[in-house]
Amino acid sequence: MNQEHENYKQLIWTLAKTDFTLRYHGSILGYAWAILKPLLMFSVMYFVFSSVFNPRNTGTEYYAIQLLIGIMMFTFFSEGTMAGMTSLLSKSQLVTKIYVPRWCIIVASTVNGAMIFTMNLLIIVLFCIIFQFLPSFGSVLFFLVAAVCIYILVVAFSLITAPLLIKFRDLQMIWEVLTSILFYASPIIYPLSMLPANVRQIILLNPIAFIIHFTKEALINNRFMDPIQAVVFITALLALAGISVLLYQRFNKKIAEYM
Amino acid sequence: MKKDVESNKAIVVENLSKTFIIPHEKISTLRGAFIHGWKKKSHEEFHALNDVSFSIKKGEFFGILGRNGSGKSTLLKILAGIYSPDTGDISINGRISPFLELGIGFNPELSGRDNIYLNATVLGLTKKQIDEKFQSIVDFSELERFIDQKIKNYSSGMQVRLAFSVAIHANRDILLMDEVLAVGDTNFQQKCIEEFNKYRDLGKTVILVTHDMATLERYCDRALLLRNGAVQYLGDPEKAVGLYMQQNMKDEEIRMQEEEEQMTYAKEYETGIAITGVEFLDADGDPKQVFSTGSPITARIHYNAKKRLEKPVFGIAIHTQDGIHLAGPNTKTSKLDIPFIDGVGYIDFTIDHNPFFAGKYDFTAAIFDWDCVIPYDYHDRAYTFKIISMDQNQNGVLKIEHHWNTPS
Repeated sequence: MNQEHENYKQLIWTLAKTDFTLRYHGSILGYAWAILKPLLMFSVMYFVFSSVFNPRNTGTEYYAIQLLIGIMMFTFFSEGTMAGMTSLLSKSQLVTKIYVPRWCIIVASTVNGAMIFTMNLLIIVLFCIIFQFLPSFGSVLFFLVAAVCIYILVVAFSLITAPLLIKFRDLQMIWEVLTSILFYASPIIYPLSMLPANVRQIILLNPIAFIIHFTKEALINNRFMDPIQAVVFITALLALAGISVLLYQRFNKKIAEYM
Repeated sequence: MKKDVESNKAIVVENLSKTFIIPHEKISTLRGAFIHGWKKKSHEEFHALNDVSFSIKKGEFFGILGRNGSGKSTLLKILAGIYSPDTGDISINGRISPFLELGIGFNPELSGRDNIYLNATVLGLTKKQIDEKFQSIVDFSELERFIDQKIKNYSSGMQVRLAFSVAIHANRDILLMDEVLAVGDTNFQQKCIEEFNKYRDLGKTVILVTHDMATLERYCDRALLLRNGAVQYLGDPEKAVGLYMQQNMKDEEIRMQEEEEQMTYAKEYETGIAITGVEFLDADGDPKQVFSTGSPITARIHYNAKKRLEKPVFGIAIHTQDGIHLAGPNTKTSKLDIPFIDGVGYIDFTIDHNPFFAGKYDFTAAIFDWDCVIPYDYHDRAYTFKIISMDQNQNGVLKIEHHWNTPS
């Protein structure tokens, strides 16, 4: 209403840093835990599926790298959305006892996931060295743009769901189930080419599957989506971001009352 | 929303209303919303604030008081920007503090140092400002030695000190404080008040919600009394406190009467002599249940003697709620001879200046024969009166007449 906070950036940064400190006790060793989870998942899946999706059967090269990138990207998405969704509820004091811009709280909660994803890039580079794989410059650029797209997706999703979770507490459980479905509905452990053409179209409607599929295509096979597809996707993403801001503004007024 | 205000006003509130909708059946899950989605939901409206208008001058120490549920906190939350008002205008001149309570965002797992940065950032300070003020914050809190310890190891008093110190350094023109003095020891409270005064002397405005009447009377320049979401009184703090006390007494009165009505004391023994009730009266002879320390209390003991009783003795006793027997005079020891009683009547027992401090007291009434052997009727601690005291410095139960002397 009458409040202006001039230090948005610092507020977001401090909140994110606090989250990080509390989660990993401020140590580098703590960070190891953050990467261990996707890495463990990767190991299990690699062990199980590498023989199934043998390049000789499916024509997919560098399965390990594909799998790793898929898992890292999906973890970025799933952890980010979960943290964003629960941000307001878990910091209820900051909503009901003080006025700070609520979007700062929401955005701050997604920063952690982004930081961990950035650090995970090192692991990906390490794997590329081990498997002696050199992606093209264009495909690396594509990968970075894709990561930004995921982040926009995460923030937009969080802006809508964080206020909604205050009213509908079961949203969290529903989303937990949905994310594990989405994981298998995305071409992470399998290549999209394995599926029949009409199923592929449906799968690609899921934005995270869309991003992961085309990132893998770009990095591994140096094949890029056609420009029309890219334009449609970016437009849709920006439209979603716009809608999320509008919805957030609508909910914002009543957030404290519903808490 | 924002309007230009006269330069000497810090806050102008006009016709502010806020209504909360309380659904009878709270739906807190999507599943519930899905199932109940089509039904029309019944709800109640709670008018937390009803057409409230007032203004606060710059540099004022402004108190807000009222009973629980009178709308104090809602008002503060609207001023802070946490709630948005339904109707009405609020004009604020200067930067208002966005918080109502101390130590928001404090995390027990973090050190005092980290918490200062976290809390101060949440209160709107920049990193540079915090760096500059850090030492001053630590000094004020007197926690230098503990600043790198996790605050979960702090006592609650220490946490409050740290939080208050940060809040004071947040550098706002208008400070909102909701019951902040309820915690912390007297020393610290004193320090807070001094700090508020300093704040005021700098031309800044302090708005304080408190139940501590003494503080209100002593320090506030003006006070606002809220009742059921409406302004009951605005002005002199002493008068506001007086009105608030009266209001409390009245409410208490009604509550106790209701309680009383549930119990009937009129019992008649075979003796045919019975106490039919005891009323407490104030100086004007009006029935009351709540008195203030020092005022006269009259207990009117009603009796019904179905047969004539020669030389009766009336006795009373006063106990604290803990069962301590404070006094037990009777008409015989007070040298009052009553020749006889017959039929319906009453006798008055009066304490001219009641010596009781705040609390509830049990009252016993009895009728005996002259030798005080046969209790014709005996209502043991069957009646209660309540004392409210404005004196904050009370120790013990009784205010005794006394004076001190020093050898000269």
